[in-house]
Parts: sequence; C-alpha cells; structure tokens
Amino acid sequence: MSDTAATLTQDRQKLEMAALSAPAVIFTVAMIAFPVVYTIWLGFQTFSSTGKQSFAGLANYTKLISDVEFWHGLWITIALFVLSLVLQLVFGVWLALVLFHAKRLPGIVRSLFISPFMMPPVVAGMMWLVILDPSLGAANYILQSLGLPPSDWMASPTWVIPTVALIDSWQWTPYVTLIVLGGLQSLPPSVYEAAQIDGASAFKTFQRITLPLLLPTIVTAAILRSVDLLRFFDIIYITTQGGPGNASNTLNIYGFRVGFEFFNIGYASALMLTLTAIVFGAVLAFNRLRGAVAW
Amino acid sequence: MTDAVNTDRWIRWLNLVQLVLAGVIIMTPTVWMVLSSFKPSFEVTAYPPTLIFTPTLDNYVELTKTTPFLSYALNSLIVTVGSTALGLLFGIPAAFVVSWTRISWPAILTLAARMAPGTLFLLPWYVMFRQVGMIGSYTALILSHAVITLPIVIWVLLPSFDAIPRSVFEAAQVDGCGVTRILWRIALPLVASGIAVSAILAFVFSWNYFLFALVLSNGDTKTLIAAAFNFIGEGSTQWGALMAAATLIALPPLVLAALVQRWLVSGLTLGAVKG
Repeated sequence: MSDTAATLTQDRQKLEMAALSAPAVIFTVAMIAFPVVYTIWLGFQTFSSTGKQSFAGLANYTKLISDVEFWHGLWITIALFVLSLVLQLVFGVWLALVLFHAKRLPGIVRSLFISPFMMPPVVAGMMWLVILDPSLGAANYILQSLGLPPSDWMASPTWVIPTVALIDSWQWTPYVTLIVLGGLQSLPPSVYEAAQIDGASAFKTFQRITLPLLLPTIVTAAILRSVDLLRFFDIIYITTQGGPGNASNTLNIYGFRVGFEFFNIGYASALMLTLTAIVFGAVLAFNRLRGAVAW
Repeated sequence: MTDAVNTDRWIRWLNLVQLVLAGVIIMTPTVWMVLSSFKPSFEVTAYPPTLIFTPTLDNYVELTKTTPFLSYALNSLIVTVGSTALGLLFGIPAAFVVSWTRISWPAILTLAARMAPGTLFLLPWYVMFRQVGMIGSYTALILSHAVITLPIVIWVLLPSFDAIPRSVFEAAQVDGCGVTRILWRIALPLVASGIAVSAILAFVFSWNYFLFALVLSNGDTKTLIAAAFNFIGEGSTQWGALMAAATLIALPPLVLAALVQRWLVSGLTLGAVKG
C-alpha cells in the first residue's frame, strides 16, 4: 500500500521535473540543436544565383582548402588570438598582483575596473575609432608630444591587428584581473608565511609559489577569453569591417560577409562549422592543460 | 629593522603608483568619450585636442533631432527586457532541476551554444525566419537574444541552488510538498539575490549584443547597438554626436553593473571563481 504510494509520488516527482525543465530544453533544441543540424545540412548544399539549391557533397569544404581568403582569415584569427591573449594574461596577472597587495578595495574602484568590459564592445570600438583617428585623434597627439612618430593605427594594414588587439585588451584585461584576483584570494595564506620565514625574496615567492598555484586559474581565464577571441567580431565590424583591404578579415567576419553580403549560405555554413570546430578544439586543449597544471 | 620598514614603505608606494597608472589607462578613454560628447562641434575635432571648453548639450540635441535615437532605444529596451524575462522564465526552473537531479546536459548544451560563434546560428535562423516572414520582428530578436540570456541565468543560479542544504527540500517533501511547490515556495526566496544578479547580467549582455540584431532587425526594430553602425556611417566629422550616442548606449549597462559590482565577479566567470 505505502509502496504504491511511494512510487506514485516518485512518478509525480519525475513528471514535475520534466515539466519544469521542458521549456528550456524545447527552446534549446529549437533554437540551437536543430539550427546546428540545419547548418551542417546547408554546408553540403549549393545555391545558384536564382536561389535554386542542390546537393553539393563536399564541394564547400574542398573550396575551403583552395580559398586563399580562408587561409588568410585563419592566419588573422590566430594572430589576433595569440597577441590579445598574451597581452591580457600578462597584464591581467600583473594588475591582479597589484590589486591583491592593495588589500582593501573600495567598491568604487572595483566599479571602475569592471567598467570597460561591461560596456558594449561596439561602444569601445566607437570611442577608440575617435581616439585613434590618424589625423585628428588624441593618441597621435600624445605620441607626437612625446617626440614619437604618429601611427595610422586601424587605417594601416600592418598595424590594424595589433591595434584591435590593444583595444580588446583595454576592454578585457580587467576581466582577467578579476578572475586571477579571485584565485589569489583563495590561496592558503600559510604558503606565503612559510616562504617569508624561509627568507624567500618577493620575486622568488612569486616564481616558485604563487605562479604555480595560480596556473589553473590563469588557464581558466585563458579558456574564457579564447572563446571570445577566436570568434572576434564586434570591434572589427564596427571599425574596419575587415579592412583596410582584407587586413583584419577574421574568419568570423569573413564567414558573416560570405553569408550575409554575398548570400553564399552553403559556403558560409562550411566556414562557420570550421570556425566552431577550431573554438571547441581550443577549449578542449586548454581544458587538458588545466588538468595538467591542477594541484 | 628600520631598513625593513623603509623597504616596506617603498614597496607600498611602488604598488600605489602602479595602481594609479592602471586606473588612468583604464579610465582615460571612457572619460575622453564623455568629454567629447559635451564639446561644441568645432572643438571635438580640434587639433591639438582641447581639454578646457564650455560644455554643451548640442550633440545630444542633434542626436535626437537627426536620428530616431529614442525609437532605437525603445527597441533595445523591448528586446533586452523580453529576452531577459524569457531567460529567467526558462532558466530558473531548468537550473533548479539540474541542481536537484545532477543531470547536467541541458546546462552544458546551453553553455556550448554560448561558446559557438553567433554566425553559426544566425545562418539557419535567417533562412528559417525568412521563410515564416519573421525577419525584422521583435519575436525573432527576443528569441535570438534569449540564446544569450538563458545560459547566463542557468549558470549563475546553479551555485545558488546547490548551496541550499538538501535537508530543507527533504523536510518539505515529507510534508507532502511537490517539486514545483518546493521551487516556488522554498527555493526561490532563498536564491532571490542570485536571481537579481543573473537578471542584471542577462540584461547587460543582451543589451550589448551586436551580431543578431545586425541581420534579424529592420529599420523599425533596429536596436541601439545595431544602429551604432549607422551613426558612424553618417560622416566621420560628426564626432560629437557619435560620442554622445556611444555615451548613452554604454550608460544602462554601466549603471547596472556599478549597482551590483560586488556580486558580479562570480557570476561573470560562470562559477569558475568564488568571488
């Protein structure tokens, strides 16, 4: 008697659980899972100029291999990724150490530090576009007052990628800082005390104790930033749209333009699936690295 | 002894100098944007740039007069509030079930979607929404932005639900409380602050999101972020109005973030750091 009652309650409980999670699951299937399957299918299709579609097999993927613009985009994406990630990790860790030693951090200071990455990347792009204007921008005025040569910044094919990396690093280094600061605050203080008693110098303490203990946190920050950096879009699209020429045509920008400017949906699908594979590959690689440096 | 004290003081000074330097680098561009938005038009493009000027609201007036700025702002508000509400509506019960059952694949699936480049979804969405004539509709925009808000809500709330002791739920079950009632009556009040943080983060990231509205909106439903592109196009000498637009677009997320900055850190890192 009580057994049946218990099963009844359990069945009811399962039913309620299913009902509670159903909206999120149905939404995810409809807006994410089904579209991704659809993109995979689109990647095997080709669309004629009249909009007639036909099965193309692997044609979109073989086109990828011989597409100079794809390889250029891949190179630009990786260059931007490496440059930005190194800048943000180095300066992020440095700033975290500075803040950590400042001990009590007033709320207003914390607000100032999170303000760059809370604002839309599009706004960051707009403001830097004005500051870095080659002829009237404040940045070149400062350079010239210091006796340094002015730069064409985003108008220069050579400097556009380093400049975009600088803008993104201005926006997201404080984010890395907050993650690393959290890691620093959770380290056991006994470690430092032991090092102090042993008479270790500040640099030695950092190199031998703090850095190894922080590595898992730093790798976590690297994962979170990599996801954004490999699919870099907003700041470039608002400032250069991939230019000058194709100098900042990252894979995400290229895929977007192939899809929505040239309306080559089949080829754009193949491009975006390739980029997605790159992003998830990087996440998995960093995840293994995190496992290797865990303590 | 005095040597040690001196070194200590010296290190503290060095630290302060670095702190100020970092603060100046972080703040200067934003301050420059706000200053430029209040400059008279002839001074915005002055070279060498001026620091002292008579502030004016001309740029803001011009912005609202020459562009449909306010209707773009309304569009942004509709899409952001709608997608945040949808994210909470779907995300709160889902996070509760994931926390209770430890069946985590729905949460992981939404996170994976968050990591994929947006263009991956935008291509099929565009084809699908066009077939049902929904390009340019608020519905399409809200649905697409809910893909941003849903994982934020789920992942910010998971640790909050996990923190509730199991015994609380078990006691309620003994009293004959169903799962839905436990969520509604017992769990929700306990995670109220987590819900507030997740709602604000969802709002900020939905407001800031650029890509989807770029393709899925039309002239009537364009969000501020997607319209920012037009402000730039309207002549590179209109820097004053451009900076006024940038300032106004950045204001809502900055104000919201400042209000809850203390609780934001753990939410922003999807639980990677206990803030």
